[in-house]
Amino acid sequence: MDFRWQVVWDAIPQMVEGAQLTAWITLLGIGGGLLIGTICGLILAFRLPLMHWLVFVYVSVIRGTPIVVQAMFIYFALPLALDITLSGFAAASLCLALNAGAYISEIARGSVLSVDPGLTDAGLALGLSYPQVLLHVVGPLALRRSIPPLGNQFIISLKDSALFLVIGVAELAQKGEQLTAQTGRALEIWTAVAVFYLLMTFSLAMLMRLLERRLTIL
Amino acid sequence: MSLIRCDKLCKSFAGTPVLKDVDLCVQGGEIVVLTGRSGSGKSTLLRCLNALDVPDSGTLEIAGHKLGRGQRSRQALRRETGMVFQQFKLFPQMTARDNVMLGPRKVLGLSRKESQAVADRLLRRVGLETESGKLPAELSGGQQQRVAIARALAVNPRIMLFDEPTSALDPELRGEVLRVMQDLAEDGMTMLVVTHELRFAEKVGTRLLFLDQGRILHDGEPSRLLREPPSERLRSFIGSIYSD
Repeated sequence: MDFRWQVVWDAIPQMVEGAQLTAWITLLGIGGGLLIGTICGLILAFRLPLMHWLVFVYVSVIRGTPIVVQAMFIYFALPLALDITLSGFAAASLCLALNAGAYISEIARGSVLSVDPGLTDAGLALGLSYPQVLLHVVGPLALRRSIPPLGNQFIISLKDSALFLVIGVAELAQKGEQLTAQTGRALEIWTAVAVFYLLMTFSLAMLMRLLERRLTIL
Repeated sequence: MSLIRCDKLCKSFAGTPVLKDVDLCVQGGEIVVLTGRSGSGKSTLLRCLNALDVPDSGTLEIAGHKLGRGQRSRQALRRETGMVFQQFKLFPQMTARDNVMLGPRKVLGLSRKESQAVADRLLRRVGLETESGKLPAELSGGQQQRVAIARALAVNPRIMLFDEPTSALDPELRGEVLRVMQDLAEDGMTMLVVTHELRFAEKVGTRLLFLDQGRILHDGEPSRLLREPPSERLRSFIGSIYSD
């Protein structure tokens, strides 16, 4: 086996560029996903009339279709259907946010429902309103419980961002493909790409561990 | 004026009637002990009084506030009552002091400093001033229940509701909770206590209610009811408690 380190060194600047784009898409994706997921999760947990059916449909559609299909749809089909044209970067971030949001709404729903209803009773008995109980009692407990599954979802989202190469976004995996074509050295390039992903997912996992240690799970 | 007045209160769960036409009137300063077999409806009655369970029919009035539809009227009722639960139900992420402060801060709208003063005074009253920085998990069951009493008192309720406050405690820890409750009674607090502690009923209670199958079967002076039970049901209930 002939492994040429020089190929890796030469590719690093381009890979760092790709990794930065991957990081941005992931950040926007999980940020948007957290927002969507928290709202939808609460709607599901409290079974708000009508709205919880809409959320149910959203979660079913996203969970029931491959993320590649979702990306293709947003990038290629949406312009035809609604005359909305998004840049590759915007389409990728939106797609990841919608995708993560569906999974996170289930995480949020589960975390809220796992909090002892007796604590809600105790809060209400004090004279707190429902929103106050949610904000001061149930929310902080649910948040702590959601950290491990959220960490899982964040890592999945980061890795899923690789498939946006199908819509031509120059993220890390797309860079890998370009560099392989340029250099003809698949072994060196894909090994390096894998190491880049590993570093990013590992840092994310450590970050979640740190957060978990700061907020003891109760 | 009576502090609690309910008329023909009914409540069922999934078609099973738990309270059947319960009428009750409680005056300020009364210490009412509710007892009866499990499933007799005593806890449900207590939970109806602060609308944690909403009655199916009947009327309820607490300190002049009528229970209507809607959250607002429930909240008004709950501000007049404090509740202590069998399983304590302290907020696990908050220290003892923060547990007691939450009501003054968010319900009464006091400042942080004022709320701290309230919490410190009440924790001293239940004998836990040295434990105020601890989390519930770091306290014994008896200590947790005393914090729970302080938490309920912190919003200045006119009535305290106790739902089997000592049932989850070891015998040696019961005494410390019962003593706090007795102090409270001696200070003139109006109290409704669901319990099987018949000695407490006799010593502290001014009135004993014996519930049976969703109805108030007996309502009278504790020592008289306990010494000369007017029915076979009460007699056998008392017997079953003292046999263990």
